[in-house]
Amino acid sequence: MFALRGIAVSLTFFVLVYCCLSALVVISWRWLRWLHAAEQSVADLLFLLRVLPLFASIVFTVAFVVPSFQILEPRSANEGTGTLPLTLGLAALSLIALGSWRVVAAQRRTARIVALWLEGATPFETGSDTVTLRSHRLTPPLTLVGMRKPRVLVSDSTVELLTANELSIALRHELAHIRSYDNLKKLVFRFAPFPGMASLESAWSQAAELAADDAAVSNANNAVDLASALVKLSRLIPAKAAVEPAAVCTVGFVTGTISARVARLLAWDEAGRSREPLIPRWLAIPPVAIAIFCSFLAYGPVLNITHEVTEWLVR
Amino acid sequence: MTRPLSIFGSNSTPQLGPFEQQVLQELWSRGSATVREMLADGKMYQAYTTVMTTLDRLYKKGLLDRTAEGRAFRYTPRLTSEELQRGAALDGIRQLLESGNTSALPLSYLVEALSTHDAQLLDQLQLLIEQKRRELQANEANMSAPKVKELH
Repeated sequence: MFALRGIAVSLTFFVLVYCCLSALVVISWRWLRWLHAAEQSVADLLFLLRVLPLFASIVFTVAFVVPSFQILEPRSANEGTGTLPLTLGLAALSLIALGSWRVVAAQRRTARIVALWLEGATPFETGSDTVTLRSHRLTPPLTLVGMRKPRVLVSDSTVELLTANELSIALRHELAHIRSYDNLKKLVFRFAPFPGMASLESAWSQAAELAADDAAVSNANNAVDLASALVKLSRLIPAKAAVEPAAVCTVGFVTGTISARVARLLAWDEAGRSREPLIPRWLAIPPVAIAIFCSFLAYGPVLNITHEVTEWLVR
Repeated sequence: MTRPLSIFGSNSTPQLGPFEQQVLQELWSRGSATVREMLADGKMYQAYTTVMTTLDRLYKKGLLDRTAEGRAFRYTPRLTSEELQRGAALDGIRQLLESGNTSALPLSYLVEALSTHDAQLLDQLQLLIEQKRRELQANEANMSAPKVKELH
């Protein structure tokens, strides 16, 4: 009974923290539109915000809720589990099950589609370390597949349509996605479902595209080549087929339509890029270190408060 | 002898083997041809029956039209190279869309974020790109001109 109560209480805290933080993120993430930074930093911050509720709720549960229950809850107490912890505990389990199912389903769908695309694909020499395959089957023009062993798939039509420079710069765009682990990030999103997060994910997706454009381009000629590749490959995809992705991807403060991306590339200038500061990733370390230090100092009182809330929940 | 089948109305664009692609390329360059005409200039070393079978297979896949000409058939491509590529890309995208929410898949595409663009918008963008390319070339020419003068 003690163990069951402990699990129910832990899961209750997990789901409460997760839902509160997720709601807060859904309400407040648009404030990032005022941020003047490089697209890579915008994408990093959006990703951080998207995974914060999941990460923070796991850390809080493991670091505070479980120890407070184990240390402060008398084992002899003949208390019931309570309806609220049981209900919320079941809700937490459902949330975890839903997240896991979404991850597995996305992986299985992707594996099925990629297996079809890879049939008969031949190696395509690009001069980079990343495996690039030329697909002779029906594939989107240029696709990055896989997470542990990422591969770039280039369709026959892409090779025929693009010039050598355009193809090279388009491949550099995909390599930037590999360096940012964007496919893995997409999968992490699947594990943390919450209503209203789609627009944040969409904005992240747009920022990630723009960041990859920035990473691929190093001068104005590159920018024009990438813009040209975008337009040429867009011609392969009729508007009819584009309706569904557009509905998913056009929300958010980073506009990511083809025309906006092309306009941005044509306006490329080196001085302008340097005016958009890249926020160093190590800047995340001090706040985390301070949070850990404060938690360490106030560990005892926080455990007590957590236990009091636990008692209130159980009653 | 024209087959009324629309390949874009079917579930997928047919898959083509290397020789089928070669034959199709040859027909695109010629416009139309009989088996004998295709073998006449010596670009193909395959047997008459191999070419005939391949053409028949392409016809059955809906990629060629044919009309009787004496005891043989004259084959004509039903689609241009661009139309076939477009169909293939469309099928790939359709396959993706049918798999559910595309943003749910851990895949990255260069042209994922599509708006409901049309050919006119893409034409305008292409014009802007060409204009920018010319500007850059002019700038580069201007930059290199003084250096040439200095060398003289």
